[in-house]
Amino acid sequence: MPIRAEAGLPRRVTARLSIGASKGPKATVDWADLIGRVASDGDREAFKRLFEHFAPRIKGLMLKAGCSPDVSEEIAQSTMIAVWRKAHQFDPATAGAPAWIFTIARNLRIDLFRRRARTDRLETGPELPDAPDQAEPADILISRGQDAARIASALKQLSAEQSMVVRLSFIEERPHPEIASALGIPLGTVKSRIRLAMNRLRDILDEEA
Amino acid sequence: MTISHHPPEDLLADFAAGKLEEAHQLVVGVHVAGCPRCTRFVEAIEQLAGAALEEVEPVPIAPDAFDRVMSRIQEAPRETAAPSLVSGMDDDVPPALRKYRIGKRRRVAPGLSLRPIELSSSGKSRAFLLRSAPGSRMLEHTHTGTELTLVLEGSFSHEGGRFGPGDFDYGDDEVDHRPIVGDEGPCLCLVAMTGDLRMNGLLGRLIGPFVRL
Repeated sequence: MPIRAEAGLPRRVTARLSIGASKGPKATVDWADLIGRVASDGDREAFKRLFEHFAPRIKGLMLKAGCSPDVSEEIAQSTMIAVWRKAHQFDPATAGAPAWIFTIARNLRIDLFRRRARTDRLETGPELPDAPDQAEPADILISRGQDAARIASALKQLSAEQSMVVRLSFIEERPHPEIASALGIPLGTVKSRIRLAMNRLRDILDEEA
Repeated sequence: MTISHHPPEDLLADFAAGKLEEAHQLVVGVHVAGCPRCTRFVEAIEQLAGAALEEVEPVPIAPDAFDRVMSRIQEAPRETAAPSLVSGMDDDVPPALRKYRIGKRRRVAPGLSLRPIELSSSGKSRAFLLRSAPGSRMLEHTHTGTELTLVLEGSFSHEGGRFGPGDFDYGDDEVDHRPIVGDEGPCLCLVAMTGDLRMNGLLGRLIGPFVRL
């Protein structure tokens, strides 16, 4: 009966949504909805939940990528300020909330390092300006496509090994020898796996287009 | 605009991760902004980064961080006004570059001029707009670092093929460039460069001092 077939669907969808959650069962929170509430009502409660979830993770990711604890903390706080200010710009069709928040943190880090390179001899703290505005060089003006869902489904076609090696190399910015020992594979395999993953991703995205 | 030459994937991934030098970030960014195919690739890496953010081990934030963030939110004005365009409505400057300060055009050889782009950091890389006359031979050179070239108008060709508007050319120290500009009109390129140039020939010696900005 069709009804029975449909009854199985939600479970599969839930299972797929929780692929990211490695630490036991987790209530699925609709981050996009919380961001929407910040945008429309300046909802502090919604913002607090976003803050409590994302600020410690931004800090964790920045530390992994080699930032100092002070800088990681500052980027985490400034990112959350920007999440509040730019909440109205968030479009769930173009990116998931975590990807959107990552791009904000990334741009703040770029701006921080450039500012620091410029004022290297001056004694300045790690503090970032509160409102990174559109004029910041890191905000390269890419008009986002509306195909976040298609990109997400393309990414699922990468093997777990392939997405792991891309993440370690490009996002956590770990050197290849470190990746090799972390994964227990030869250095040459790391390099070839990255290359294969990149080519595969390009191919999948071209097919989906 | 049919784009047939794209940045290599690892360069796009570095761009998405925010790891490139400013000049490289600029040139790759302008290509990506005009290339739906590379936009998809960059967005895919950003989604992977979002997944990494979700799964990373959280690190405790300062105890007073939330209060400090809320007071910074209340202190500062909400949105700053759009910046005035520093380079004005200059027909040489594509929209993506209008927020940059761009130096005066300098004629460096017959049929060849460049405008340096002022970057916010003093990294090892330089960026400039290079305009070459139709049919001319462009910078004949090799270099020790990398060179990224994005065609904005016109075209050039070398052993790697023909490069028209939107096309991206990646050169490293193994490449000996001998690009020739197409006959259809002047060729305007956005160029990012690291390392030392080794100019070949008279033209190279003429332009050398100008390219080391």
